[in-house]
Amino acid sequence: MLAELSKDLLESKARLEEAQRVAHVGHWEWDLETNVVVWSDETYRIFGLNPQEHPMDLATVRSMVHPEDREPLYQGVDQDLVAGERPNAEFRIVRPSGEVRTVSSLTSERWSSLPGDTKRDASGRPYKLFGTIQDITERKRAEEALKQSQFYLSEGQRLAHMGSWAFNDSGHYWSEELYRIYGLDPQNGAPTVEQYLALIHPQDRASMAETINRMQEEHCGFDQIERIIRPDGQLRYVRAVAVPVVEQGVFKGFIGTTMDVTEQELLTQELRREQAYLAEAQSLTHTGSWACNLLTREIFHSSDENARLYGFDPSQGAIPFDRFYNAILAEDEVALRARLENAIREGADYDVGFRIRRTDGALRFLRGIGHHNPSQEIGEYVGITMDITERKRAEEEREKLRQLEADLAHINRVNMMGELAAALAHEIRQPIAASVTSANACLRWLARDPPDLERARAAAARIEQDGNRAADVISRLRSFYKKGTPPEREMVDIKEIVREMAALLRKEAVQHSIKIHSELDENVPNVLADRVQLQQVFMNLMLNAIEAMKDTGGKLTISSRSTPQGQVTVSIGDTGVGLPAENTERIFDAFHTTKPQGTGMGLAITRSIVEAHGGRVWGTANQDAGATFHFTLPAKAEADA
Amino acid sequence: MKSAAVPTVFIIDDDRGMRQAIHDLVESVGLRAESFATGEEFLGTRHTGRPSCLVLDVRLPQMSGLDFQRQLAETGMQIPIIFVTAHGDIPMSVRALKSGAVEFLTKPFRDQDLLDAIQQALHRDETAQEQQAEIHDLQERYHALTAREREVMTLVVSGKLNKQIASEIGASEATVKVHRGHVMHKMRAASVVDLVRMADKLKLPPRK
Repeated sequence: MLAELSKDLLESKARLEEAQRVAHVGHWEWDLETNVVVWSDETYRIFGLNPQEHPMDLATVRSMVHPEDREPLYQGVDQDLVAGERPNAEFRIVRPSGEVRTVSSLTSERWSSLPGDTKRDASGRPYKLFGTIQDITERKRAEEALKQSQFYLSEGQRLAHMGSWAFNDSGHYWSEELYRIYGLDPQNGAPTVEQYLALIHPQDRASMAETINRMQEEHCGFDQIERIIRPDGQLRYVRAVAVPVVEQGVFKGFIGTTMDVTEQELLTQELRREQAYLAEAQSLTHTGSWACNLLTREIFHSSDENARLYGFDPSQGAIPFDRFYNAILAEDEVALRARLENAIREGADYDVGFRIRRTDGALRFLRGIGHHNPSQEIGEYVGITMDITERKRAEEEREKLRQLEADLAHINRVNMMGELAAALAHEIRQPIAASVTSANACLRWLARDPPDLERARAAAARIEQDGNRAADVISRLRSFYKKGTPPEREMVDIKEIVREMAALLRKEAVQHSIKIHSELDENVPNVLADRVQLQQVFMNLMLNAIEAMKDTGGKLTISSRSTPQGQVTVSIGDTGVGLPAENTERIFDAFHTTKPQGTGMGLAITRSIVEAHGGRVWGTANQDAGATFHFTLPAKAEADA
Repeated sequence: MKSAAVPTVFIIDDDRGMRQAIHDLVESVGLRAESFATGEEFLGTRHTGRPSCLVLDVRLPQMSGLDFQRQLAETGMQIPIIFVTAHGDIPMSVRALKSGAVEFLTKPFRDQDLLDAIQQALHRDETAQEQQAEIHDLQERYHALTAREREVMTLVVSGKLNKQIASEIGASEATVKVHRGHVMHKMRAASVVDLVRMADKLKLPPRK
């Protein structure tokens, strides 16, 4: 019987032990009189000890309690005991392996019912305590993790200005951030639909009310941006997203998020405005912007105006690179491709002009400017394309006008010289004819029988007069530049005049494949001269040089230097037909010309002007080809002249 | 009525030296010369001496020599013109010669060229003057005819026979013969052919 009983007891104890092991719950018994504690096997295990290996005592327990928890634990237990309450506590222990575990210790209510455990002192203080100790480390960790994730969620919502909500049978939940977004007090709880609609901007309210209606009737979600007016009067943009929750085919309610997108929305609006301005500016200036890779022919960006420049409809979607490229006129494409390939190879920027055939057939001039950023892929460019047709046409008109003016000036010059020559011819011919006739008359008076000497003498006197008259005309011509025009002398920079004349004659030079090259000594002093006359000298000599090379092309060289004698020497050389073999000096004579259309006055006037300025002009034959005309001017012109 | 006066050469040139030289040259060959600086001066002077000619400079201060030539023609003054110029061109000389100029000389010219031109001009003027005198004479004779006689003369030079003339003017053939005799006598015509030539010179309109 006893054996059976003992066997039962043992079995029941074993079961208890097993139950404790499975549940990680150990028990203990503390005799307050002897201060001896008895621990169950599981209690040992919870503490990381081998059961019954070396009996635990209170000191062992105390030493194993986590140092941070030790004092509060024992103080609490003492207070509870003094107060006659059951000491319950959660605390951490440190296993011999160093592992920290959290345990929960509970003291039994029914301790007095245990055998041999009925003793209390006079004050009712028990002599024995019974309790359990449970390893709650895993549960604790899970709790911590949950807390942590809730914290993260709410922090995340706060940072993202995103609130969440749920609406179902069990109620209407709003996250804290959601209250903040709407400027509501969480204490008042989630608002009703009416309260909520009152927060919506009047202009958006009707549509929101309809959305909520449909959402409730059709159980459908939504995603929309609406304006709200917070109780403090602030206008905010929020994006609200609602999703219906359906579990196993049964509609359970809605969950959703609401995000404050005011900053994004304002930014978006600003961006849209900027884009509108930009598009307007592009359209006004006929300038398109683009970004593409010229090698892979991939377009990353192409503004509407960029498409319109080619006559494409931007609303028809992206236009492939080749459609743009194929619009380029074949005769321009070769040169353009060379320029682009060169730029790509060097990773350089480019600025090119080319013509396209627009989709409506119109021929347009475009200018493309591409910028390559060294950090970009090879061949990647951003840039603009401009329609410069009108400007180009205006330029051409201007150029035509300029050319016309130049031609007119040239004709005028020739005409003027022709007029001058004709006038001079008449002026000189008159006295010569008179003297010839008088000489004839004279001879006839003398041939009479008897000779009429009186009349002959009178005729001879007239011959003399007319001879002098002819000489006077010639003197007048020679002094034309000396006294004919009042001198307007000023300090003149020869370099400047050369630049002006070169610019004026460039077109003419280019037409005849002539290069104008100047070698001007920077140190040449300014000369005191009549600017217009000096321009005429340059004009005459340069035109002569161009004339000499107009069938062959060549090089026109203008050089200047100062001489030790304080003079400035200017040389204008060509590579043309050169000087006549004979009579080199006569080329400066008036009316001496080797050109069919020449006036024969150019060099004569040139010499007259240069000499009036106290200088000298002469021509030399070049060693290889052509001629060079030189003239000197005193750095300080003569006071008279 | 041939003029016995010495032929006169008028000279218009604004260049004094030239003017004097031509004047002197003309006188050296025994001709009379009168020179003027402008066309107005020339027109302002009475010059009756015939025959005469005009040596005219193309470029004159007020108007060109060519315009002056036209002005002279318009006023009915018939005088042969020799143009001289210091800067003539071919179109200008063609125009001058077409308008009846005798010669177009470019200064300086050979003296003989000018004197030859002057001789030619004077000769032309003389001929013109003789022709004019003859016409004048014929006109006087023509004016001496009665109206009937002029009518008969017109019909005669038109080649009509006496009988035709008689029926045309409503007279007898005998009466026509008397008128015709008066016409031949007054006009001093030797024959009908002679009378036709005279009618031609008088520019009488022929009659059908």
